[in-house]
Amino acid sequence: MEKTFEKNTFGKRLKTMLHVDFRRMFTMPLIYIVLGICLVSPILIFVMTTMMDGSVTTDPQTGEETITESKFDHAWQIIGSISNPKEEPSDEGEKESTEGENPMGGGMDITSMVNINMLYFAVAIIVCLFVGADFRSGYSKNLFTVRASKVDYVISKTLVGVVGGALMIVCFFIGSVIGATIMSIPFDLSVVGSSTISVGSIVFCLLAKVLLVGVFVPIYVLASVIAKQRVWLSILISCGISMLLFMMIPMITPLDGTFINPVLCLGASILASLGIGAISNTVLNKTALV
Amino acid sequence: MNAIEIKNLTKSFGPKQALAGLNMTVPEGAIYGFIGENGSGKSTTEKIICGLINPSGGSVKLYGRDHTDIDVRACMGVLIEAPGCFPNYTVWNNMLLQAANLGIKDAEREAVKALKTVRMEGAASNKYKNCSLGMKQRVGIAMALIGNPKLLVLDEPINGLDADGMRIMREVLVDITKNYGTTVVVSSHVLSELEKVATHYGIIRGGKMICEMTAKELDDSCRTYIALKSNDMAITKSYLNKKYARVESDEAGYLRVYDNIECEDVVTYLYENGIIINEIKTDKIGLEEFYIDLMKEGTR
Repeated sequence: MEKTFEKNTFGKRLKTMLHVDFRRMFTMPLIYIVLGICLVSPILIFVMTTMMDGSVTTDPQTGEETITESKFDHAWQIIGSISNPKEEPSDEGEKESTEGENPMGGGMDITSMVNINMLYFAVAIIVCLFVGADFRSGYSKNLFTVRASKVDYVISKTLVGVVGGALMIVCFFIGSVIGATIMSIPFDLSVVGSSTISVGSIVFCLLAKVLLVGVFVPIYVLASVIAKQRVWLSILISCGISMLLFMMIPMITPLDGTFINPVLCLGASILASLGIGAISNTVLNKTALV
Repeated sequence: MNAIEIKNLTKSFGPKQALAGLNMTVPEGAIYGFIGENGSGKSTTEKIICGLINPSGGSVKLYGRDHTDIDVRACMGVLIEAPGCFPNYTVWNNMLLQAANLGIKDAEREAVKALKTVRMEGAASNKYKNCSLGMKQRVGIAMALIGNPKLLVLDEPINGLDADGMRIMREVLVDITKNYGTTVVVSSHVLSELEKVATHYGIIRGGKMICEMTAKELDDSCRTYIALKSNDMAITKSYLNKKYARVESDEAGYLRVYDNIECEDVVTYLYENGIIINEIKTDKIGLEEFYIDLMKEGTR
């Protein structure tokens, strides 16, 4: 006679896995440190760039003087860039917004390099450390012995990573508001100079960035399950892929975005989670877990 | 019903074949002592049972179902090599995490119960990384016991345990098999400890099962021997060697005659040669000697 076992449904398995992962994520000191850094770094960026702005450096060989122009024109510049450069006024003479020049935000101006998009690298590090800890500690033995199916593991790690990333973006946003207030950087949307920017478009921009984390996290989870206990390798792979995708971020999540942008990001996230998640699942099923 | 039924299991790591057609049967409710030399394939077999590595060939059935069955696997407890705990977490947090992993509703009660079983309730607030080797092993056992698993796989669980720890381990194994019907697969090199609890044995060598038997069968097949002490052990040994096929000295200073003979025969023979016996007894070889004999036979 066959022995009966309690039915372990997908819902139950996912619930327990999420319970484990959320518990772990929010008992991990590192997440609070990173969230703190996310909160403080925009403040520091605003302070530093404002202090550096207008400083003159002289080339010792040629004697040529260079004036550093690094001040943010408006507070929202640290959040995103404008997708339509033609609407950007050139009332500042030669100095147009670099992001305005390049819709991909790929200019070399410090304001386009040092912004919220950097967080996608920080999310990579957090996710890799988080997933890698399962394998490094040996906890993966406990997890996978009672989990013949790895789908719930992959989904849970992705969801927790997205939540972690979203919190980082929120903290960065709050830090940006605080930093801009301290340094008197204007929030006034008229300063931005684009008629398409409104409070709504800023909200859509932020929402799109949060949802875009869902495209990146499955990649980081995949890198982590491939590298297993070699966390350095997973970070290397994740940051490498992030670098390739980095230029896409300002394009998909512009400051003058509409509701289409978050919807696009949501769609991309779902597709990435399904596609890359399936690969992660296959990797876990086909490789040794210890 | 058999809790584990393995047929023709093979596993290769590149050119190295770790398992070469292993067959194994573990009846439900048994404490199965899984014995073998280092590198014989014990851990590989256990990892395959737990789904941590995939076999190259063969089949593994748990309670009649494939070992990849979600429902069966959810009822397993495991301690393979080192306990899988997060070093920066406290023992308590590690326990709660495992309870959450198993979806146990009353996690705290289960964690307390498991820690009490291994007498670790006093160390619950210690960080896992600060625990001694023996304490870590106890935590690992406690984690494996959470939720009363139907099948428990323990790889070298008594490594690093002190005498008290070993005794607790024995009590726990007997208790869970008797009271909860748990089936336990336990591998260990400390055969004297294993002998005290195991109801079944499997001896593996070179990735193949060379012997499977119950404790009763082991007892029946363990030969008796005569152990003796005399005034001059060297001369006694030389005389015994002349007449009997297998004579060995043991750690306690006795000479052992393994031939199938009576005590009186040895006494008479030595007396005739002028040797006075101070002490003589008959005894049975234990699991350890049985295993060593089996290994020697295999190498011959």
